[in-house]
Amino acid sequence: MSSVTLTKLRYRYFPDHLVGEALSKRWIDNVPAVIWLLVVLAIFGSLIPNFFLVSNLIDSTRQLGETGLVVLAMTVTILSGGIDLSVGSIFGLANITMLVLLNIFAWPLYAAIPATLLVTGCIGLINGILVGYLRLRAFLTTLVTLIIVRAVVDMLLLNYAQPVSAANFDSPVWDFMGDGDIFELPFSLVLYGVVAIALHVVLSRTRPGWRILAVGGSRRSAHNVGLPVRRTICGTYVLSGLLCGLAGILYAARSNSAGSEVGLGLEVVAIAAAVLGGNSLGGGRGSIAKAIIGTVTIMLVTNGVVRVGLHSGGGSMVLGAVLFLAVFTDIRWLKHRHKLLSRVYVSPTFFELGALPDTTKGSISPYAINNRLGDVELIGLGTIEHPEDVIFDSNDNLYCGDRRGDLVRFDAPDYRRQQVFAHIGGMPAGLACDKDDNIFICVAGMGLYKVSPDRAVTKVTDETNRSFWSIIDDSRLRIADDLDIAPDGRIFFSEATVRYDAHDWPVDALESRGNGRIICYDPKTRKTHTVLRNLVFANGVVTAHDGQSILFCESWGCRISRYWISGPNTGKLERVLENLPGYPDNINRASDGSYWIAMLGMRSPALDLALRMPGFRKRMARRLPHDQWLYPNINRGCVIKITEKGEVIDVLWDESGENHPMITSMREHKGSLFLSGITNNRIGRYRLRDANPAWTSHDSYWGVTA
Amino acid sequence: MMPWLRSKVDNFIGSGDAALAVPPMDGALKPNRALDTCKTGFAIQAPDDLCVWNGILLVSSGKGLFSIQRADAGVQAVLHRTYENEITAIAADAAALAVAFADGDILIEGGRHDGRRISLAEAGKVRNPTAVTFLGAEHLAVCVGSARYAHIDWQRDLLERGSSGSVWRIDLQTEASVCLADGLAYPYGIMPLGDGHSILVSESWKHRLLRLDATRPSSPEAVLNDLPGYPARLHGDGVGGAWLALFAPRNQLVEFVMREPEYRDLMMSSLAPAYWIAPSLRSRGSFLEPLQGGGVRQMGMLKPWAPTRSYGLVIGLDRNLQPRRSLHSRADGSRHGTTSCLASEDQLIIASKGGNEILFCDLRGQS
Repeated sequence: MSSVTLTKLRYRYFPDHLVGEALSKRWIDNVPAVIWLLVVLAIFGSLIPNFFLVSNLIDSTRQLGETGLVVLAMTVTILSGGIDLSVGSIFGLANITMLVLLNIFAWPLYAAIPATLLVTGCIGLINGILVGYLRLRAFLTTLVTLIIVRAVVDMLLLNYAQPVSAANFDSPVWDFMGDGDIFELPFSLVLYGVVAIALHVVLSRTRPGWRILAVGGSRRSAHNVGLPVRRTICGTYVLSGLLCGLAGILYAARSNSAGSEVGLGLEVVAIAAAVLGGNSLGGGRGSIAKAIIGTVTIMLVTNGVVRVGLHSGGGSMVLGAVLFLAVFTDIRWLKHRHKLLSRVYVSPTFFELGALPDTTKGSISPYAINNRLGDVELIGLGTIEHPEDVIFDSNDNLYCGDRRGDLVRFDAPDYRRQQVFAHIGGMPAGLACDKDDNIFICVAGMGLYKVSPDRAVTKVTDETNRSFWSIIDDSRLRIADDLDIAPDGRIFFSEATVRYDAHDWPVDALESRGNGRIICYDPKTRKTHTVLRNLVFANGVVTAHDGQSILFCESWGCRISRYWISGPNTGKLERVLENLPGYPDNINRASDGSYWIAMLGMRSPALDLALRMPGFRKRMARRLPHDQWLYPNINRGCVIKITEKGEVIDVLWDESGENHPMITSMREHKGSLFLSGITNNRIGRYRLRDANPAWTSHDSYWGVTA
Repeated sequence: MMPWLRSKVDNFIGSGDAALAVPPMDGALKPNRALDTCKTGFAIQAPDDLCVWNGILLVSSGKGLFSIQRADAGVQAVLHRTYENEITAIAADAAALAVAFADGDILIEGGRHDGRRISLAEAGKVRNPTAVTFLGAEHLAVCVGSARYAHIDWQRDLLERGSSGSVWRIDLQTEASVCLADGLAYPYGIMPLGDGHSILVSESWKHRLLRLDATRPSSPEAVLNDLPGYPARLHGDGVGGAWLALFAPRNQLVEFVMREPEYRDLMMSSLAPAYWIAPSLRSRGSFLEPLQGGGVRQMGMLKPWAPTRSYGLVIGLDRNLQPRRSLHSRADGSRHGTTSCLASEDQLIIASKGGNEILFCDLRGQS
């Protein structure tokens, strides 16, 4: 097997783009914490015999629920930018309150539990009012609460310790809460799991949860945006109080004893667990998952050192060392993750193009350089920037996009008067016009939009169906590029690439993976779904003259393909023209039954060779700054004309590159060809010699209007 | 063992020899547009080397030697003589002129040894002289760029990181030649230093200047390191300093390709030299030449600081051979490939081989 074949197979089947995609997700921040958890498991698993015996494990988890709830309480307050040092004292208060209510005052369980929670919730509310509304410092305030509540606990113990230890509250529910199992897991653990999942859903998928993270990230900015900062912060302390109360109740159920050291030092363990998992002490960054990982690690370490037989000081030493290492790695990970991501994200693959067609001036090649576009009239020179596409409505007015997010209109017939027709935002790209003169626009960074003749902007669609196996969320549209409307009203549009955004789209050429797709929006059902996948930078789309198929361009694929959308061949894909000498962008109808194609760049031999050596490109992307990378030559382009069968019948160049060095779109209208380019600041009008002077695209699509 | 380990570590981290970093142009080398805005100049096809002989300014271009004369109509180049072979270097003494050719011959005109033809050719080796200078009236010092490739293949020698160049001392009376230094990475400029017994040589591919003993073989001493480009010819400025022309810039992508042997070899064997990822003398080429990310034009403009494969740079060195001032033609300019630079009468004469021009820059305005 030749090395080329081996390379091809290796790059087809080994998905190295997944590494970069995984690194770009938010959940990758959990990785260092999980690694530490595994390290701890491995160390203690090897040191302690029968560590992994299920019964031993379950014994270790009996305490996990209570500590875990306290860690959740601490995490919630840390995430909002504060801290709750009183969690241990509230825990102790809940314990003694519960025991007192049950044993001394003989309250039933269904009254004692809510009462205890009410008490701890009120303590949390006091914390919340002081920190949230009165804007006192969280650290000092909760320290004071810690001392005061501990004093209250001691006072209660003074009066009730004796009677509580003498009394005996009997209740099967109470016993179940303390020692019972659900599916062989302790009740406290199951309750902890349920609460943790609920809290995770709240924090990551509901508005109150997002507000907590926003306030923690930047209190000032959250206030400026209009979020209810004080209410949110107060809410986190109330929640913290409730969670600690629940933990204290579970402890009371399990141990049935009241002592002055219940919950002593629990706040330190809670902080350690929260930070170990990777939650930021400053607030705004973290998750419940991180808290859980931290809790499990801490419990493993504390139990493990006891089982190994270390002296009492040794256990804390080990815990301290683990905490230090975990925090150190987390900080380094935070600092360097984006650097690592930028280096490994670009995942080039093997891509082989045919021999480069000749473009030498004066040769017999159909692509030979000429200076046909040397003589163009200019429209909007210097007043528009980055027009990617041009289109005409039924009244001959010219529309084009502008990089400032505008749809600009030039009024017929001389195209001197220019106005911002509508402001959409994003980066407007491909344009299409339906029979009622609604302009449909693909806006890169936003989606598919529609501008009606009365300048109203509506969103048509900005998402499609998510593919199951993709790590990247490809339900979002990153670079909607070009579109066209089928005779039955369906809109077919291309998404150039799912891995890159509009500001660094040429990097997709270095990958030359099939990252693009064609998507269909059906206005009758209002549904969007992906029609074709794995296209190498899907770009221009045009409905064929007979309306039965669409022709589309793959830029880095240097080819034009046809996809049937109706008739007997529906769903079939065929290649129309391959091995172009450049990168095709938009494709549009010509007046004589053929098609115009714009080339946004020309192939160069050095890059073509590099496309067959993905390792070279990968090392280049890793070791050189972005500015220095070998790029597709998008400083040069041309226009070609092809027949329905894919035969090249004409080519237009601007030899000097003065007006139209690179061209992303052209539209034929009443005998002239209007040109635009995405790095240009003008529209060119080239008078075609033998074209039908009455032909317009609007008539070609929707019939001659009366 | 240690060098092997070090090279492995270097390759992994990207340090030492595997470092792709290029020194920034700062301080005395801060980029300006002095060469681009220079108004006086005239067009001539690929001017290579300059010298002043008997008060006449001579420039070599291809096989022809031209003299620059000021007439009422302005400055013009008058053909002095055409030779059978391509001229690769010229130098002049008080009375004599030395013309070096691509086949390894050096012809002396004028002075005591008028008409003498010295041959450096040696069987099996390429002896393409790249620079020549007189050491007194009786001796010549010659730079031979590479023993493997002729000057026309300089890009190949650069990409393969060749170091087979040498510096020779030739006695004009006996035609005996002594090799002063061997194994140099493309010596491309040579100049006698004021102390009478040493010479300054520019070692191009190692982007530095070396001082050699002019009388006997010795190991060279580097006097100016880390130039931001590949140095070419040197000429003294009459007050102890020198003018150094750099004909191409260092480029991180080129440095990367030099360290990728598989890609480099395939590129050199399957692509035409104009399309290689290698420095170039010319600024604007066809679209088939490689483009780097920063070189994309927006609104038709190329950023002056864009990564570029060609550049125009001339550096004035002081008595301690440290850079004092510089004249640049940046990425968006056209006066690139400056191979030689001569100071005469408050004017700086620069040969821009890539821009096909000779430039006259006024030195009084420079600080």
